[in-house]
Amino acid sequence: MKNKRVKRVIEEFIDYKDAKKLQKFVTDQGKIIPRRITGLSAKQHRELVRAIKRARQIAIMPFVSEAVK
Amino acid sequence: MPINNYESVIVINASLEDEQIDSTYQRVHEFITANGGEFQDVEKWGRKRLAYPIQKSKSGYYFVMRFTAPSDMISKLERTYRLDETIVRFLTVQLDKEAVAHYEVLRNKKEEEAEKSENEVAEKTESAES
Repeated sequence: MKNKRVKRVIEEFIDYKDAKKLQKFVTDQGKIIPRRITGLSAKQHRELVRAIKRARQIAIMPFVSEAVK
Repeated sequence: MPINNYESVIVINASLEDEQIDSTYQRVHEFITANGGEFQDVEKWGRKRLAYPIQKSKSGYYFVMRFTAPSDMISKLERTYRLDETIVRFLTVQLDKEAVAHYEVLRNKKEEEAEKSENEVAEKTESAES
């Protein structure tokens, strides 16, 4: 039987400058975790993805994590 | 020209002297105010480790500026960023309604705290005097 999907919500404002909070939504390679695993709403996932991509541009989050290189 | 809220992050080469970094920041600040921008607040993060090397350096000096500006000014601003060799990376985003509200709340909180600590200091000096 398939597990029931757990919904999750981010309560606070999704800020692209807050690398610590965004870190929870990327794998240890630095990839963005898909929505089917995080259980976020489509809207929130979109916002999150935008935030992570912005954070990568200003080098506060890695495109590829140091451990993999 | 519509006036919007913007947030601009600039990363300055951290191997420069502090005065040079400051003068770069002053230049940017002057440019924005001279071109019809109005500052809301500025965060100075200082030297931070970069998540990946940029121009072979591993750290950068971060400034975050929030301001309102006419929309045609942003392209000019980004051009000056590009011409400035001390700036290694920049990102300017338009803030939507939620973001503006969020930063307003933060700013008010900060102001309240500043007032509180001021009052505390005042009280302390008063009690010390008495």
